[in-house]
Parts: sequence; structure tokens; C-alpha cells
Amino acid sequence: MEDYPEELRTPPVALVCLAGCPELHHPISAFLHSEQPPINTLALPDFSKASVLARKKNRDPLSQPTPAPPSGILKRDWLLKHRTRVPAVVAALFRADQISGDPAQWLQACTDLENLKSLIHGRSTRLVVVLVQTQAAEELSEDVMTALRKRAEIDPKHLVEFVQNDATDLRQSLNKLASLFAELCLTYYKEEGRRIRSIIEKKSSPFPELNIRYCFKIAIYAEFRRDWSEALKFYEEAYRVLREMTNTSTRLPPIQRLVEIKTIAEQLHFKISTLLLHGGKIMEAVARFLKHIKTYKRLVGPPEVDFLHWEWYSRQFLVFAELLETTAAGAPSSQSPRFGTAESPFSEWEFQPAYYYQLAANYLREKRCCLEQSSLSKTDLPTKITEAPDSVMPSIHIGQSARLVEEGDIVTVLPLSDAEYVAYALAEAERFQDCYEIIALYKRAQESFSSHGSQRMACLCTLGMAREYYASDDFTNSKQLFDTVAALYRREGWAPLLWEVLGYLRDCAKRLGLTKEYTAYSLEMAALPVFSTGFEKTIDFGPAGPATLSRREEIQREALNFAVETDGDTEPVGLDIDPVSPLRSVLLVAVAFHEQSVKPDSAALLTVSLLSQLPLLFKVGSLEVEFNQPACNFSMPVPLEVSPNKWLRLTHEVKSGQSGKLECLSVKAKINNNLIICCRAESPALMEDLTMWKYENQRETYPTLDPALSLSGQKSIQVDEPNPLVDLTLNSTGPALVGEVFQIPVLVVSTGHVIRGGELKINLVDARGGGMLMSPRETDESDAHHVELLSISGLPEEKEDDQNTDLSEETKSDNIRKIQYSFGVVSVPVLKEGESWCCNLEIRWHRPKSVMVYVSLGYNPGDVDQRVNVHRSLQIEGKVPFFVNHRFMMSFRREPLLISNIRSLISPLEEKKVSLAFKENNIVVVSAKNCTDVPLNLVSMKIVPEGGTDSSQKLFVVQEISGISNNCTRFVPGEEFRGVFSIIPQVSKPSLSLGVVCVEWMRENQKQDQPEIVTTKHSLPQVCVEDPPLVAAIECPPFAIVGDPFSVYIKVKNNTNLLQEIKYSLGDSQNFVFCGAHVHSASVFPGKEHVLSYKFVPFSAGVQQLPRITITSVRYSAQLTPSIAAGTIFVYPTEPKFTLEKNGSELVV
Amino acid sequence: MIVCVAVVGHQNNPLYLQSFTGSDDALKLHHIVHCSLDVIDERVNNPKRSASTLNETFLGLLYPTENYKVYGYLTNTKVKLIMVTTDLDVKDADVRSFFRKFHAAYVDAVSNPFHVPGKKITSNSFSDRVGAIVKSFGPSMTL
Repeated sequence: MEDYPEELRTPPVALVCLAGCPELHHPISAFLHSEQPPINTLALPDFSKASVLARKKNRDPLSQPTPAPPSGILKRDWLLKHRTRVPAVVAALFRADQISGDPAQWLQACTDLENLKSLIHGRSTRLVVVLVQTQAAEELSEDVMTALRKRAEIDPKHLVEFVQNDATDLRQSLNKLASLFAELCLTYYKEEGRRIRSIIEKKSSPFPELNIRYCFKIAIYAEFRRDWSEALKFYEEAYRVLREMTNTSTRLPPIQRLVEIKTIAEQLHFKISTLLLHGGKIMEAVARFLKHIKTYKRLVGPPEVDFLHWEWYSRQFLVFAELLETTAAGAPSSQSPRFGTAESPFSEWEFQPAYYYQLAANYLREKRCCLEQSSLSKTDLPTKITEAPDSVMPSIHIGQSARLVEEGDIVTVLPLSDAEYVAYALAEAERFQDCYEIIALYKRAQESFSSHGSQRMACLCTLGMAREYYASDDFTNSKQLFDTVAALYRREGWAPLLWEVLGYLRDCAKRLGLTKEYTAYSLEMAALPVFSTGFEKTIDFGPAGPATLSRREEIQREALNFAVETDGDTEPVGLDIDPVSPLRSVLLVAVAFHEQSVKPDSAALLTVSLLSQLPLLFKVGSLEVEFNQPACNFSMPVPLEVSPNKWLRLTHEVKSGQSGKLECLSVKAKINNNLIICCRAESPALMEDLTMWKYENQRETYPTLDPALSLSGQKSIQVDEPNPLVDLTLNSTGPALVGEVFQIPVLVVSTGHVIRGGELKINLVDARGGGMLMSPRETDESDAHHVELLSISGLPEEKEDDQNTDLSEETKSDNIRKIQYSFGVVSVPVLKEGESWCCNLEIRWHRPKSVMVYVSLGYNPGDVDQRVNVHRSLQIEGKVPFFVNHRFMMSFRREPLLISNIRSLISPLEEKKVSLAFKENNIVVVSAKNCTDVPLNLVSMKIVPEGGTDSSQKLFVVQEISGISNNCTRFVPGEEFRGVFSIIPQVSKPSLSLGVVCVEWMRENQKQDQPEIVTTKHSLPQVCVEDPPLVAAIECPPFAIVGDPFSVYIKVKNNTNLLQEIKYSLGDSQNFVFCGAHVHSASVFPGKEHVLSYKFVPFSAGVQQLPRITITSVRYSAQLTPSIAAGTIFVYPTEPKFTLEKNGSELVV
Repeated sequence: MIVCVAVVGHQNNPLYLQSFTGSDDALKLHHIVHCSLDVIDERVNNPKRSASTLNETFLGLLYPTENYKVYGYLTNTKVKLIMVTTDLDVKDADVRSFFRKFHAAYVDAVSNPFHVPGKKITSNSFSDRVGAIVKSFGPSMTL
């Protein structure tokens, strides 16, 4: 498309000529150019330059009554002339002062006008006079205007005033001028078109050339005024007439005539396509194009110039592809969703430039083919015209050539004969190298197809490129491209296509001297599933040769012999075949162990199977099988014969002394001195089918004799560890108790192996899973570990430090001992057969938890560097020994008024803290219950202040009221012990820490020499100590006797500095009579004690409830009702007699 | 005239390819059939397909060249049947009927208990039957 002249490629733009006032040309031109539609300007700085508008010859060939036959269809410069030199409007610009002032100037203006008029005489070009006024005030008189108009012979409206004194006026004047020009241009081009149309309609010309020319002109004029539909109509008409002309015209020698017709057809078709595509009619454009190429395909012309035809034909595709690409109209996918059916006869690709690029490349190849033939046959032509004539140039008509002959100063243009033209065209064509252009076209097509996801089509284009490179002896590029093509054909199993590509690749490798690649491609070709079938023998597969069995055999022989022929000194060619290599069909190695695991040092059976799809039997000189344990490698020096498509199975025994995985890595087959094939071993179970052969109908065979092994066989085997000859025992004596150091004895006894480098690993794991032996929140703190491995005690070397035997000497050097919270490692000394070694694991539980103890012993049984491991595990429950609880109480029948207790009654939502009365006797009862399954000895129970500092001792006084009588008391499971403590706070503060209860205990049946006393702690809560304002105490005798009066005193002490009013009441009881007020009130003075005294006489015996006493403090709205226990008294019927026995302090009634 | 028929498997691998033309074009026909798989891929995976065409087995004209027209057909087992003809104006109905017969022949061939699914079709009777169908395609056009 770039080869076309500019005027053809772009739509024509109307032309206006400006003469005079050169300073205004630029603003006017710029303004007109930016108008929609734009107008080009031909600016003449002064009137003397107006001669460019002059016609070259006055004779109009169209007006001739009997015109001579035209010598061409279209003139080369006609379009350019109308776009650049023939204006539709000529505007003469005069300054107002030029007109109105000096008569000499007026005369000059008149002369200029006359000149212009004479120049455009005979044309329908319009004349416009523009009067330029610099100031609006510079009004010209009506007379002058009329005189000027008459002089110029123009309509009044064609005389325009151009005011430029300010921006708005300038803009207005420009707008006025532009609209006038646009109108006049439209009229001009319409008239020109109509004029030529009338010629066609008046008389049909005997010469179709003229008809074509007229149609073309009408179309161009229509384009000038943007009447696209008329333009299209006349281009199509011209195209039609041209098509009819191909067989009738005899004006030129046949070859040149055809060239001219095709050139014109190309131009017309280009115009039609452009108009259609820009009009969005892509379907029509495609249909039009298909028709165009179909029509002209057969117009090849004489065989000696057929290359010209194919070049032209290729160009049609290229130009259309470029047009499609640049207009970017895109396929009408949204309108017609289904291509290729009756609804839409086109297919997707016909809307893609790539498709046309690819075809352009194909036809350019065709052209090159023809050109080569023509060049070859050139020698057969008569000698006189084999020489191309000099100085051939394009003639004045499009598509024609002429010879330029210089004789002195006279230059004459002579027509060419066909023979001369052919020679000239041939010489011209030979100057160009088409292959780069072909590659570029294929490249564009390939990129475009790839971007549309059409990988196979892109691949075909790549193949085209590769062939071109190959043809131009660029084997490096060619090989690279062929390789990418081959990859797709391999993947999709298109054997014949791959055969062709491999043939090229093989040849490229050969020419580049790549022995390894050459061998690889050859062997791959030989192992391709292509068989001779009737016609395929005659297909041209390029350098690959026919795709037949015999050719495969030949290639195999060539490849193997090629290797043999090379010098013995050179390195042998090594081919690596991995599971994704295309060479797997050349040699496939499956390795299967017969068992899944094997004992060390015992033989494992292994089958190595070889399969080849090469057409001929070939010999393998030696076979080396390599393992990951190099000690197991073996080789088979016996020559082996591999037959086509038949598994060669070899069974061998392998012994491995090393435990772990034994895997076959590769098998090296030495074919001859120069070729070694190294195949990665594959497991039959995981083996993939051969990509090219899996679709072939051939007998399915198994790599091993046992078909089951073919499905499950693996190339690796697990070599077990030797059986341990060691006893490892873990003992435990029931559940562990929280707090104590629990010991687990571990015993290692060698029962056959000598233990060297032994290592005992201990691991504690939460039995319930999770593996965490610490709470996740407290991971930082050291005591956050719920269960902790403290140490490993009872190690022999500690005990036997004195008797350092040579064995312990040996172990000391590499003694490892590493203990962490849940993990420990300790080394075990060398143990001979029968010897034993023991240690104790010391573990402490901080929380009750069930723990798995894993112990594993790893050692070297002999001299071999091989570890044997023994594992044992034991689950141990951790339990709480004592369940400790506490309870706060007040002294019997003594009730201090604690304000915080009242507050908590009012607002119960507040956090309840136990309140103790300041300087009163507060009682704490601590109970400890043995919740284990074993009896435990309780040693002591104490309340220890937190931190144990002296200062805290002043805060309160603890007194043990009742405790453990002797040092050690036995508690059976479930038995409970209660200790009673009295606490007298010495300070009054809202938060007081009472410390912890320490329960010391030990297990029964412990060794007496070092009894382990364990302390279980129970912390007492924070209490609130407050000074009670009132303390009420009831004094009552321990018992009463029926009928015997006794006194009960209720003492209310006022600890405050205020006068306290109390109310009290006493209920009735049928068992007692009493004296005193039922309901009364009293005032207690600050710091004093008020005593209420009642005298009771009991009526009946037994446990009796005193009448209900209620005391109310008015100030604190607090009411005290003594508890039932406090109001209970035992009444004897008669006075009891007490006898004290000697042996105890028991009281016997 | 039909110049080539092909059966293409799931991995876009040829299962059967038979040309009925002179030797010159045979390899080109392989290329044409192979490239037409691009169009089949595009048509089958095109999400714009309307409901009415979803179950359509006939894929229509795939691949235009000046000399050939390539038509495609997709069986319900996603095996592709491809036909290349030199007739430049073929009736849709004729092509459809050809593919129906071709499909029936294919189904019969793979129903053979000795045929391994996914392998190339080497049955001679299938070849003969396809040859007969291809031959019968030409005259029906002239009617």
C-alpha cells in the first residue's frame, strides 16, 4: 500500500487558489485546512505567479468530434494535477487602499484581474474577489465596489470584504470566506462531474479506455465533494468496463496491455475497497475482494511473464490485508455469531488481515518460482532481446512503460516491444530478493494468528518462514523455526507433517555440522510411525524423502553408520533421553523392582526392559545401569539385540547394604564406539505412552513378564534397616503426681548387636494431640511448661566415675547430653552383647496432663555406617495429689458489722471480695482431700505469706488453731483433712493478700534416706480488711437446765466516734420464758459497749432454739439476726454430772 | 469433489485421514485439515454461541482457500470430522447429509469390539465405506 502514490491513498481534498496579499495566506490556509471538510490552498504571493494555473494545451481532447484512440487509460499525473494545481476557486485578494487610492494602483488591480480571468477562461473555476480592510472604518464607496465587480465579472456575493482589525472580526471574515469557498468548491466539482457525465451519456465512446477514464474522473470529482456513494458507483462502473476490456483491446502489445489493465484494476479496486471499508461495509469489501481475485486469478498472461502476474496477485492480498488492518473495522462478530453457515457464508479468518498476509506470502513464493523458471528459460529466448533496454521509465499513462532515447539534446520517448518489456521486467525482478519479503509477510501473519489464538495456523506460517530461510541457506534461523513447528506436530501426533519438518531439521543440522542433533533428528525420524501407503510415496516431503518404511530403515542405517564413520578419536555422541524427550520412541527404558522393599544385603530382583520403535534391529554393545547408590551400579557387557516394538527384558539381582531408597537413575546403552544413548529410567507404573505411537494400532506388550508388575512396578525400592537386636524398656509406677519429680527408668540391653554411637532421644508429647506441652499464651515464661523433662539421672558414667574403663573413655569424647523442656538427647556408651545400661528420666508435671513419652535409641550395629533405630513409648497420666479448698468464717457468736457486705447486698453485680474484720478473729478452714489412687502422707499444712517477707507478717497474724497432730499422717485415697487457722488482720486495707496454703506431702514407701517432700500450693484470695463500726457479740452459757434461769447478754460495741442508735427485738418461744423488752432501742456512745441483758428460763430439754434476736443499726440500716447455730442451746433435764477420765481428755457424759 | 476426509481425536491427533486426490496436494491437505482445527477450537469454545446452536453438530465452513472449502462436524464424543472439497458452491444440506453418513460409518467402525478407543482407525471396511460415501457426494451435487 505504501507503494501507491500519496494522492491515491488519501481521499482528495478541494483546492482553492489565493493570489495577492501574501501576509494573509498563512492564516487563511490554516483556517481552511482545519475546516470540516478541509480545503487545501494554493497560495500565490503575487499575481505574476498566476501563470501556474495556465493549461498546458488548450485543446481539450474530449471536445474533439472524432478523437484518436487514446494511448492509455489513465494519465499518471491527472489526479495529482487536480489535487495540487487545478483550483476550484481562485480568490484575488486586494487591499482596500490599493483600490480606493492611487489610480495607478487601481489600473494595476484591473490588469491583475484581467490576467486571472484569462487564465481560468474555459474552465468552470470560480473567481472570488476579496477586499482586505485593515480597519472597519476604511469603508469603500459603493461605486468602487460596483466597478470592481463589473471588472471582475462576478456576482455581488462573490465580492467579499475581509475585515481583520480584531480577533472577532477576523474570525467572522474567515468563517464567511470558508463557507463561500466550500459552497463554490462543491458547485465546481459537481459541475465538472456533470460535464463529464454528459459526455458519457451523449455518445458512447468507441473506446472503452475513455469510458473508464471518464468514470474514474467522475468518481474522483465525487470524492472531492465527499459523495462516497456516487464515487463508489463510478469506480465500480470503471472496474466493470475494464474487466470487459481484457479480451477486446488491441491497442498495446498483449503483455504490456495486460500489465496496464491489471494496474488500473488494482487502483480501482483499491479505491473501492477503501471506500467500502471506511464506510463500515466489511462484508461487502470482503466479498468484493474475493470476486476481484477470483476474476483476475486466471489472467496469468504469457508464461514468460507469469511472475509478474503472481507478484501483482500477491500484492492484491497484501494491500487488502493492510487496508483491513488500518481500518480496524474488525470482524462483524456481534452481528453474525455463526460463521460458515447459510447465514454467513464467510469464515472467521476472512476478516483477519493475517489470512491475507499468509496468502500474499504464498503467492509471492509462487512468483519466485515462476521467476526462477523464467530466468532459466531466458537463455532460450532470441539473443537480440535478452539484453534489457536501458533507461526504461514509466510513461505518462498509468501501467505503461516507455524507453527514453537521448540523441544529443533531444530526448525522445519510444514505446517498448513486448520482448523488450519482458527482458526489462525480468531484469528488474531479478534485482530483488523476494525471500525476505516472503518471510516478513509470514511473520506478520504468524504474529497476527498467534494473537488470535490460532496456533496451528501460526505454526503453518512459521513453517513457511522456516522454509524460506532454508531456501536462502540460513540454516540457523531455519532450524530454530522448524524446531518450534515440530514441537506442535509432536504434541498432536501428526506424523506425516512431523516427518517433513524433521527432514528439514535433519538437513539443517547436517549442513550446520551438528552431529548430535543430526543423529537425534535422524533417529527420531526413523522411529516415527509412518508407513507406506499407496500414494504417499509420491508426495514431496522435501529433504525428508518419502514417508515410507524403507526410507525409515535407510535413515536409521545412515544415522548409525554416520556415527561409525566419524573418527575414532572424537568424543562419542551422547544422546540423553528423558521422559519428555521425543527420542523416547528410539529407546525407552523401564526399570521395575519385583518387590517394594528388601532387607539389607539380600538380593532384590530387577527387570530392565528396553523398547525401540526403530524399524531395524540394532545391537547394543553394553548396557550400564546406574543407581543412586553407586555401589549397586552394574553393567551388562554382553551384546544385546533390540528388535522393533518388542520389549527386551533383562532381569538382574541387586544387593544393597545401605538402608533407605535405592533408585535406578539411568541406563546407558552404548550402541557403537561413537554413539551412547543415556536413558532416564522410568517406572512402568508411571510410564507415559509414546506420544507418536500411542494412537497406533499395534499389539500392546508389557515391559515385564508379569503384567501386574507392569502396572505397579517402580524403579525404586526401599531397603529396610537391619532388625535391631536390642531391648529397650520403659517402666513406670503408676500415675505421676503434680509437683513431684517423677522418675521413669529406661533400660537398654544389647541382645546381639554391639551398640556404638548410641543416642537416646526422649520426646514428651501431649497425649491428647497437639504436641504442645505449654499453654500457648505463656510460651515465654519458663514455668509455663506443663510438663518438663528435668534431667536424666542414674547415668553409669556418673556413678562409675572412679572406675574409668576404656569403654567410658571412648564415650566421653562424644558424649552428648542435651535437655530441653520436652526433648532430650543423651548418648549411650558402647555396649557389647549382653551388656546393659540404664538411666532414669526425671519429669515434673506442673499441671495435670496426660503425656506420651517417646524414647528412641539410634545406634550403629557394626562397622557399617548405618543407623538402626528402636522406638518405645509410654503414656503417663499426671494427677493432682491433693484437692485443697478453703472457707472463711467469723468467730462463734461474734458478728462485726462489715459495711462492704451490706454494699454487696445492695449492688450484687460488683465483684465480691471476702471481707475480714480488722483486729478481729477471722477463721479460715482449709480442707485438703487426697484425690489420687495411692495413700499419701501429709507432712504439714501452713499458711505462708506471699513472698515470705517480714513486712507482710505485720499485716496480719496467723494462728493455727487445729492442724496435724504428728509429723506425718497417712491419708488413704478420698480422705480429707481440715486445718483451722485464725487470722487477725493488723491493718485495714481494701485489698490484702493472705498468701498461700502450703500442703507438704510425700509418697508412702519411699526410701528413707532421701524422702522427697513435695509441696502443693493453694493460694488464698485477696481479701478486704475493714474496721467494723459495730461489733455485736452474744454471750450465752454452754448449756441450760430445765427450770433453771440463765442470762444471755448481747453486747454491742461502738468502735466509731459517733453516737449509734440500735433497735433490737426478741421473738417469743414456747420453750422459754424470759424477762426484758420485746422491742426496744438504745444508744451506744462512741467507744462504749452497750449490753442487753435477758434472763431465760427453759421449759423443755434437748437442743432448743432461743427466741429470735434481731439487732438493727439505724445509721447503717443493717440488721443482724444470729445464725441458727448461734441461737441454739442444749437444755439438760437435770444438772449433768461430768467425770473426767484419767487416760484422755475426753468428756464422758 | 471431495478431496480429503479426516477424523480427529481428542488431543487433536489424526485418527483417520484419507485424501482422494493426486500426490501433489496430499501434504497440503494434511496442513489444511490441521489448521482447520484452529477454527473448530474457536467455534466450540466461543462463549457467544446461542442456545440454538449449542447442540449443533455441524460446524459449517471452517477454512476458505481459493481452491478448497473445509467443512467440520463435531460428534457428541468431541471427535471432529473434517471434509475438504473442491466444489466452491456446495449446499449446506448436502454437506450435512454427507457428515451424517460419515458419522454413522465412524460410529460403526469404533463399535467394532476389536477397535481400541482413541487409536487410529485402520479398518479397511471403514475406508471402503467412506470411499463410497465420498463418491456418492459428487453426483448428488449435479442432481
